[in-house]
Amino acid sequence: MNVTLTDVHRSFGKNKAVDGVSLELGPGVFGLLGPNGAGKTSLLRVLATVLPPSSGEIALLGRDPRMSAARRDIRRRLGYLPQNLGYYPSFTVVEFIEYFALLKEMPTSAVPKAVAAAVERVDLGPKAKAKLRTLSGGMLRRVGIAQAIVNNPDLLLLDEPTAGLDPEQRVQFRSLMRSLGENATVIASTHLVEDVGAACSEVALMSAGKIVFRGTPGELTARGEGHSVGDAPLERGYSAVLTEARS
Amino acid sequence: MSALTMPLPGTARALRLELKRNAVPYLLPLLAAVFYFNTLRTADGFPPVWTLRASVISAHMLFEFSAFAGGLAAWAGSREGRRKTLDLVATTSRAAWARLSIALAGTLCWLLLAFLAGVALLYGRTAFQATWGGPPLWPVFVGAAGVTVVSVIGFACGVFFPGRFTAPLVAIGTLLLYQAGMHAAQSLEPGQAAYALLSPADAPPIVDAGIYHHVPPDRAVVQVMLMAGIAVGLLGALGLAPDLRRLATARSLASVRGAFARGDSWLLRTIAVVLITCGAGMAATAVSLAGTAQPDTIAGGWEIPALHSSAVDRSLPAAQACTSLNVAGSAFQVCVHKAFSFDLKEVAAALKPVIAEIAGLPGAPVGASEVASISGGQTVTSGMAGHPPVFTFTADRVGLMFGQFLGMPDPAAWRAGFQMGLLDAFLTSQPGAGHPAGPTRSGAAQQAVENALLTAVGTSPSELGGGQMLNGRPNAATSAAISAATRRFLALSASARRAWLAAHLSALRAGTITPAQIP
Repeated sequence: MNVTLTDVHRSFGKNKAVDGVSLELGPGVFGLLGPNGAGKTSLLRVLATVLPPSSGEIALLGRDPRMSAARRDIRRRLGYLPQNLGYYPSFTVVEFIEYFALLKEMPTSAVPKAVAAAVERVDLGPKAKAKLRTLSGGMLRRVGIAQAIVNNPDLLLLDEPTAGLDPEQRVQFRSLMRSLGENATVIASTHLVEDVGAACSEVALMSAGKIVFRGTPGELTARGEGHSVGDAPLERGYSAVLTEARS
Repeated sequence: MSALTMPLPGTARALRLELKRNAVPYLLPLLAAVFYFNTLRTADGFPPVWTLRASVISAHMLFEFSAFAGGLAAWAGSREGRRKTLDLVATTSRAAWARLSIALAGTLCWLLLAFLAGVALLYGRTAFQATWGGPPLWPVFVGAAGVTVVSVIGFACGVFFPGRFTAPLVAIGTLLLYQAGMHAAQSLEPGQAAYALLSPADAPPIVDAGIYHHVPPDRAVVQVMLMAGIAVGLLGALGLAPDLRRLATARSLASVRGAFARGDSWLLRTIAVVLITCGAGMAATAVSLAGTAQPDTIAGGWEIPALHSSAVDRSLPAAQACTSLNVAGSAFQVCVHKAFSFDLKEVAAALKPVIAEIAGLPGAPVGASEVASISGGQTVTSGMAGHPPVFTFTADRVGLMFGQFLGMPDPAAWRAGFQMGLLDAFLTSQPGAGHPAGPTRSGAAQQAVENALLTAVGTSPSELGGGQMLNGRPNAATSAAISAATRRFLALSASARRAWLAAHLSALRAGTITPAQIP
């Protein structure tokens, strides 16, 4: 298993952002759904080793992130795209991705090829030498994805990865996620249920810090049968599970 | 694979990126303009004496570089906070300390490069003009340490208080700090707060600093020690930056434990703590050493007993440039230190007409020679020395000739001052005195004779305001008596003036002649 969470809690003051989450995930694309404030981003930040859990056990890529050496090893094999991507406007696309490849301590001889490959995978080849300040929001999102995948991670954490992408780019990105998920564990937090339906082999739905559903997209769709809220079958399943959790 | 095609190590590649995308080059033109108008033009107004020219490094150059260095380093340090990349970089495996150090190094490299380029330009111009000595290195070390420490302070401010206003606030704070240091250093007197010695900001030294005596490096050593201590300590604090950030937001004991649990390895933290301790130790040592500073009894300035080397107290070998004047059929030698040989012609030209007026009179000098302006820790003024007497003058008289030094750019005023100095010494001092002595400043008759002799050689005493030899401002009656005596004495023929002076010089020097007795 690449990710093992056991009764993980994370609080900010009195607010329980993550409340007793347990998960075991192997390779594949895992969708994390939930309304605003459900705790998706907090859970991803815990998985990204940015936030320590308030309590509970975590093993990532078979290592305990509480140990400094293990955490460093995990981070070398980790890709993370935060919800709000910060960037350095004066860097070019290639420089920004190279910078993160170097921060991930990739072998320097492998960096140029890895950067070029990441740029191509997000279809930014023509903009490779453009400064980040000149890019559109969607292009910046793709730069963020490229820096996350540059080290060919075994654990890829994507927070709202398709936000700002046009429909064509979203279709391409779903394909990219599927191919990455063949060998790595990809966890994508999103509001867009169609992304989950198209790309994820498994899905979890969070509400108030807890996982209230876990299954395949098909199983989530099945939960929506007979439920009236939602335009698409998967949305109806999403809505039905949330209604049930809140009641 | 050859050395040229071998890939750079990760740190070097990251540094290359930081250098390439650094903000410093964008502000270099502005920095260069400020450097030209503030530092270079000030230096050009100084005589081309190495120590004097080098003093602008700490007095002017550091001023502008500090403000730029502090602000630009704060801008670089606040980047992750401003650009909201903290989460992103926190998930990378390279230690936060290494990452921050690379960013700091990128900024520091540019700033030090710009600083050294400025020093090279300053020293290069001086090398073409200077006639003696070589470039002093301690001012460069102090300047480089100053740029470094301000950069590290600015960077640390940016890391710990990221925001768009951090950089301008740090730049302004640096300027104020520098001004406070300059004020403290300029008003520094023995027995007062010696910590002001630690400020690299300082007033220009005496004109002949470093040409008769070594400049003791004691003060520079403690300044570098203090600045290095602060820089090392802050570098250590940067190693704890992620932990300190997490601690600042920790709201419970568990959060505090978590903050410590998530940081870099304990080895790195230990190194950081060791650096902080070493830095604090160095800074504290520098402060305590500065507290023991005493006025230097040899060359002026300050010495710190624990650092002072007796080798520095030895006088430098005399090196004079001389020219011989033919005055009334006899030779009159004029000498200046080689460091001022560019002014020898002007000095000789200024003295020659006055020498011609007084040559052959009792106590008239047979030569003129520059002496050190500090002797045994005491200030030396113009005077007569030796037997037969030689007019001795100090470098501050010579140095006045060069440009705007000490706010006296007018060559006519410089010439009048030099001639007046010679006449002051001739009319007031007793011949045969064994050491340089200043004028006694007494006697309206002496003033009248001096004014008349100056006017006779084509110099207007009004260039210096008149009344230089009198104690205090003369009253109206005395002034009128001096003016009348001056006019009468000037109306005499040159031979009559000489004859009267030959007969009455002793009485005139003794102050027993009144203006009314002057023919």
